[in-house]
Amino acid sequence: MAFSFSLPLALELPRCSPVSPADAELVAQLQQGSEAAFRTLVKRYQNRIYQTALSLLRSPQEAEDVAQEVFIEVYQTIAGFRGEAALSTWLYQLATSRALRHRRWATAKKRFAHFTSLLGLENQVLHEVPDHAHPQALLEGEQQVKRLLDHLGRLPAKQQIAFTLRHEQELSYEEIAAVLATTVPAVESLLFRARQKLHHLLA
Amino acid sequence: MSDSAFRPGSDEEWEALLRQLRLQPKAEPLPFFYGRVHARLLATSLPAKALLPKWLWRPAYAAVLGALILAVSGDGAVAATAGPSHRTSFPAHQLAH
Repeated sequence: MAFSFSLPLALELPRCSPVSPADAELVAQLQQGSEAAFRTLVKRYQNRIYQTALSLLRSPQEAEDVAQEVFIEVYQTIAGFRGEAALSTWLYQLATSRALRHRRWATAKKRFAHFTSLLGLENQVLHEVPDHAHPQALLEGEQQVKRLLDHLGRLPAKQQIAFTLRHEQELSYEEIAAVLATTVPAVESLLFRARQKLHHLLA
Repeated sequence: MSDSAFRPGSDEEWEALLRQLRLQPKAEPLPFFYGRVHARLLATSLPAKALLPKWLWRPAYAAVLGALILAVSGDGAVAATAGPSHRTSFPAHQLAH
């Protein structure tokens, strides 16, 4: 799978969904260094960020790691946030870009481990990284959803992000366009192609 | 497991599948997530603060170590080569003490 696309700098792009009054106040407090505001921010967005990362990574541990990184980056760079986009847009951008970076790193690590095992550089048994089932798919009788989520990981990165944000996070087309720094028709196209691909994979 | 058991061929089936996806219980991070974020934030910020003193400490340690080596080995070597006759060459007012 190719992960060639990269998201642009989060602070520069989003052009829709202006910051809500509640978020604007929170950002102002964060920019003053309020720890209470940071706690509020984490509590307000932790589930959404974690779920997005989990959808892309399928690993609770990695999703937790990415979610932590997102909030730390927000804390360290909030001074540069100009409020031209929704705070949630910025957070989703950070979450998706960092999740993809984690996935690239994990894939490279897995390939390197396989390569070294072929060369006999390590005398240890090469174990497959456990494929943690998505918690949403663990419920009995949810096999259809589980298969859908299994195949979701085989979509191109942008299609996967668009699908996750639309059907799991229930973002609007405009919000997804802001996160992906693209247009609404482009999002529609991504979702259409994602559906076609999933149809093909599920058939 | 074969995927042939489920084929969302029609729009209705596809929409039903997506509806089912949305109705799934949402995953959440483990409890005390903020505590872990806060701890990691502290851990990432501390090394940056401690970096400068370390760089400053290293030359200081090296200078102290060098001075110590000179003090221990250098004085002895000078004393050994100088011999006792040099000590008698000091002015008389210094030797009087």
